[in-house]
This record gives sequence, C-alpha cells and structure tokens, in this order.
Amino acid sequence: MEKEKDTIVIGVIGSDCHSVGNKILELFFTSEGFKVVNLGVMVSQQEFVDAAIETNAKAILVSSLYGHGEIDCQGFRDLCIEKGLDSIILYVGGNLVVGKTPVSVVEEKFKKMGFDRVFPPDIDLKQVAELLRQDIKERFGSSSKEQEAKDQSEQDSQPDQKNPGDEGSQNNLTGQDNQNNMKEPEGFKVK
Amino acid sequence: MIKDEKIELKEFYEIRKDVLQTWPTGRNVSIEEGIKFHRTIPEERRFALVMSKARKKRLTLLQPRAGVALIDDHIKLLRYLETEGQADLLPTTIDAYTRQNRYEEAEKGIERSKQTGSSMLNGFPAVNYGVEGCRRVVESLSKPLQIRHGTPDARLLAEITLAAGFTSFEGGGISYNIPYAKRVPVEKSLGDWQYVDRLVGLYEENGVKINREPFGPLTGTLVPPCISIVSGIIEGLLALRQGAKSITLGYGQGGNIIQDVAAIASLRELAEDYFHRAGFDDFELTTVFHQWMGGFPEDEAKAFSVIAFGAIVARLSGAEKVIVKSPHEAMGIPTKEANAQGLRTTRQAINMVEDQVVLHPEDIRIELELIKKEVHCLIDKVYELGKGDIAIGTVAAFEAGVLDIPFAPSIYNHGKIIPMRDNEGFIRIFNQGNLPLSDEIMAYHRERLNERARAEGRPISFEMVTDDIYAISKGKLVGRPR
Repeated sequence: MEKEKDTIVIGVIGSDCHSVGNKILELFFTSEGFKVVNLGVMVSQQEFVDAAIETNAKAILVSSLYGHGEIDCQGFRDLCIEKGLDSIILYVGGNLVVGKTPVSVVEEKFKKMGFDRVFPPDIDLKQVAELLRQDIKERFGSSSKEQEAKDQSEQDSQPDQKNPGDEGSQNNLTGQDNQNNMKEPEGFKVK
Repeated sequence: MIKDEKIELKEFYEIRKDVLQTWPTGRNVSIEEGIKFHRTIPEERRFALVMSKARKKRLTLLQPRAGVALIDDHIKLLRYLETEGQADLLPTTIDAYTRQNRYEEAEKGIERSKQTGSSMLNGFPAVNYGVEGCRRVVESLSKPLQIRHGTPDARLLAEITLAAGFTSFEGGGISYNIPYAKRVPVEKSLGDWQYVDRLVGLYEENGVKINREPFGPLTGTLVPPCISIVSGIIEGLLALRQGAKSITLGYGQGGNIIQDVAAIASLRELAEDYFHRAGFDDFELTTVFHQWMGGFPEDEAKAFSVIAFGAIVARLSGAEKVIVKSPHEAMGIPTKEANAQGLRTTRQAINMVEDQVVLHPEDIRIELELIKKEVHCLIDKVYELGKGDIAIGTVAAFEAGVLDIPFAPSIYNHGKIIPMRDNEGFIRIFNQGNLPLSDEIMAYHRERLNERARAEGRPISFEMVTDDIYAISKGKLVGRPR
C-alpha cells in the first residue's frame, strides 16, 4: 500500500492579503509530496485550527508578510491546545514584525509564542520541507497503526473532500487547464 | 443592481447615515465644515493643483509611502520625509486592519504601540483617530497629503480624511478589491467606491478639488500593461461620472524599459480618448509610475539599484509622479531613514536623466500600438457585456474572466491568465484565460515567449513564471534557468 501523505495546513494570517507567495507555497509543498490544505489569504487563527482538526493535519504553516504577524499570532499555540491539537507542529514565516529587525530577535519572539520554527522571507523552501519531514517524523513517528487506520477511514468516507477555503481561485496556477505545452511544475528553484 | 449613474444626493445622504454609524468617530463628520477647512488650505498644499503644475512644467514629483500607528510618531515620520527626504508629495499609508474595516483590532494595535513604544501597525489608523486626529497631521505638514491604502470599502475612511483636509485619495472599486480582498463581490466594491467618488464630487461642486488616483500596479506581480491600463480607465470613468475631475492614473514598473515607457504613453493617450468618448471633457489627467512593486533584493546596495532604475524609467516615461520604494523593501516596513534614502536615490537618478531627450524609436511605437490594440479588445468587450454601461460591464467581465488579474487573492477573480517574461524581459501573456484578446495579438505574445524558450533551451513552463517572480530579488530581471 502506498504511504499516506502527511497533511499540512497553510495560509496567510490576519488581514494580510499577500497572495503570490501563498500560491507558490501550495505548489511547492504539493510537489514535495505533502497533502496541502491551502486556506489562502486573510485566515483567522480559528480557521487554521478548524481546518487542521478537520483534515487531521500534522502541521500548520502560517505566513505573514505585512508586519502585523506579532499581533495576529498571539495565543495561537494556546488555541491549538484548547482545541485538542496538543502536538501539532507550528511553523511561521515571512516579514513578521513592523520594521527591519534581526532574525534572531524575531525568532525568539515567536518561539516564545509556541511556534516550533520561525523563518525569514528569503528562506530556502527545500530546507523547510526537509525540516518539516524531520519534525513530523520526530513528533509523530512513522505513522502509527492507529493513525493510519484513522486516515484511511476518513479517506474512504470522503473520497472527494474538498479543501476548506479552496474556492476555485486557489488552485488556478497548477496549469491543469492550460494549453498543451505547459508543463506541470517539477522541481522548484525558489531560493 | 449597480449602474454607472451619478448617485442622487438624497440617496447619498441616506447611505451616509449608515456609513457614519459604523464607528464612533464617524458620528460628527461634517462635509460642510470640511469644505470650509479646505478653502483655507494654501495652494502649494493642494494635491490636484500641484499635480496639474507638474504636468505643465513636465516635472516628475516624488512621493514615498509611510504610516505608523501613533499620531505624533506619524507626524515626525512625515516631517522627516519632507526635510531629509525632500519629498514633493506626502502620503498617509493606512494600516491593514483599517483597510478591512476592523477598527477594534486597529484600536488594539494603537494600545499595544503605546505600550511597546514602537508601531505595531503597518500604517496609520485614520478612522480610529477621527477628523480631529487626522487634522493634526494635516496641519503639521507643508506638502500636499494623500491617503494611500487598499480598502475595498473606504467610505468612512474617505468621509473622515477628506473632512480632515487630505487633498487626494487613492484607490478604486477594482484596484482596491481584487488585489486586496478575498470575498468582496465586485458589485459591492464598485458601489462603495461610487460613494467615495460622489463624496469627492460633492467637494468639487463646492469648489474644492480632490485628486483621485486609481491604483495601477494591482498585484504588482507580472501584470501585463493592458490589464493595469483597462482597470485604471474603468475606475477613471466611474470617478468622473460621480463628479471627480482631477484623475491620476497609475502603472507599476514591469522592468523592460521600452514596455514601461510605452505603457505610460498609451495609458495617457487611451484614457484621454475613452474619457472624451464617454462625454467627459472637463477633467485633468495625470499619470503616476510606481517603482518596482514585486520582491526586492535583501542586500540594500542592490535594492538601491532597483530604486534608481525605477526612478530613471519613471522620468523617461514622463509620468508626473513617481512612488518611491526604500532599501528595506525586502524586509517590510522601512525606518524613516531608509525611506528618506529611497527618496534621495530617486532624486539623484531623476536629476541625471531629467533634461535628456526622450526618444520614441520604432520599438516603443510597436509596443505602444500593441498595448492600444489589447486595451481596445478588453474595454470594448466590457462595454458590450454591460450593454454600454461600464459598471454593469465590469461586474459581468470579472464573472466571465474577461477581466482577470494575475495572482490576485479575490475569489471573484478567475486567476486563469498566466503571464511571463519574454527573452528581453517584456511581460507577455502565455495563457489568455478568457481575456478577449485577438488571435493576432496572442500569436505575437506566443512568438515572443517561444523566442525565450529557444534561447533558454527549455520548454515554456510554469517554472519560468516562478523564476520570473523571484528574479529581481535574486539579482536579475528575467528568471533564467540555473
């Protein structure tokens, strides 16, 4: 049997509408073998958590480009714990605070808030995918039988389940309905 | 249903009652008092007049973006940009919570900024401060002031800031919805912006000219010139209908000099043409060129180069205004020092090309003709869908994908078109989605893209698009294979 893909939830938090990077992250993590639930832009903490519960996700990747990240991310870990997502992996990345600030200062701030990893905007995505695979393995082990069974039954009962928040415009860059000589993205070279 | 008709005053005042109740600071906003105040503003601080002079004297004026959470700090910041940055025009950039009408969250941002002593918001929360707070800003500065934002429903923001004495207001029903929001129907934002334009018209009828500036760059990511220009012309037409008279249409730098110069030239020519065709003769049109709106290099030395390049092309294009970036662009909101550095870099570059003759060689003409053909294809179809009504047509056009903005977050945008650079860095359209561009036009785009594919020895692929998106931040214009 083919190994179940790990589900991750991605989105841009708060009132942030930066959509370009979000579309690229979706394509990238999909090409890296993850099952990506993309909530798009302007996502609340509650929406992230609900989607993670609904899809049995192992990680939530929060993006923020506009500087309000510090306010928007307050209490994110607490909400996860409150909703029973005790061991979910939380990543955050982007331009997280207002003004040019040393990466180490930003990292400390967000780690205190309960994020497992904090990334600057120019991070090598390949590296993030590698860390994510490691973290999932460490925290969840190679999928336990219970987990697998649960995944499987969910998969069976809702074979065509649509990603929450996926309302047509999110998946529009995969090139599916494009003219013939358009290639699907393969390896990504985003730095 | 929405129509391109001037809002009756009675209807305007009925809507207004509800608008002013959406936040406590709206309660006492008085248009009459605002008009009286505007009449006391000296000429050199009136945006429309200064833009008009720039047109006559063939100047390119400099304007930064800037806004922080606390009033005193905001005034300090703008004064610094006035003195150290030598800005010709000043902004007040609005924070992202206010843009989404989330005033409670903006309030929290103000409180936390007071606690931490630094701005926790990415702009100035003008609605929360009300007319009184905004007027303190207006009265502290000696250059014309504009509200710059990204607000789909800016009715209360406009009421407050215009009454406070701001003399220019950026935005529009397309350009401040599709690139800035997720779930706002086009009909809703067009209607809300008709209100803003009617308010501007009301000031105009009382002898107070407010400059209106549709936001040209849209998503700032590989936007083909024709899309940006069509959006600007439509928003200009809608604004003129409601009584606005001073219109500044914008365009974001694409990166190829010929295409950028041709885009501003065609924008000016086409807008004049379509405005007259729609029966408007009493207006003043100017243009604004936005320095590169996409990803910036992190290395400040490289960022200065992107800024200077934008400055030079802005000048060559003959735009009356240039919106200036800072060397901190890759990291987000700049410090005031970095912001002023961007202005000084721009000034130096502009001064060095200012007196040089702008050549209009054959290739600029070719590009200009191409853009004009594309714009005609698109606008003619919008009018057709609206049976002659540009507002109805615009709603229908987004539904049908006849208007389509690449990489936009809105669910009301098809997002089917795929733009990429050709071998010389021109932005071309690979997949036209439902854009009604003629076969002849598309064949040209395809041919230019094939040229690049041949030169790079790889097929046209989505990888080229992502390579192009990150190219400038990594040091080049075209995203070549490595």
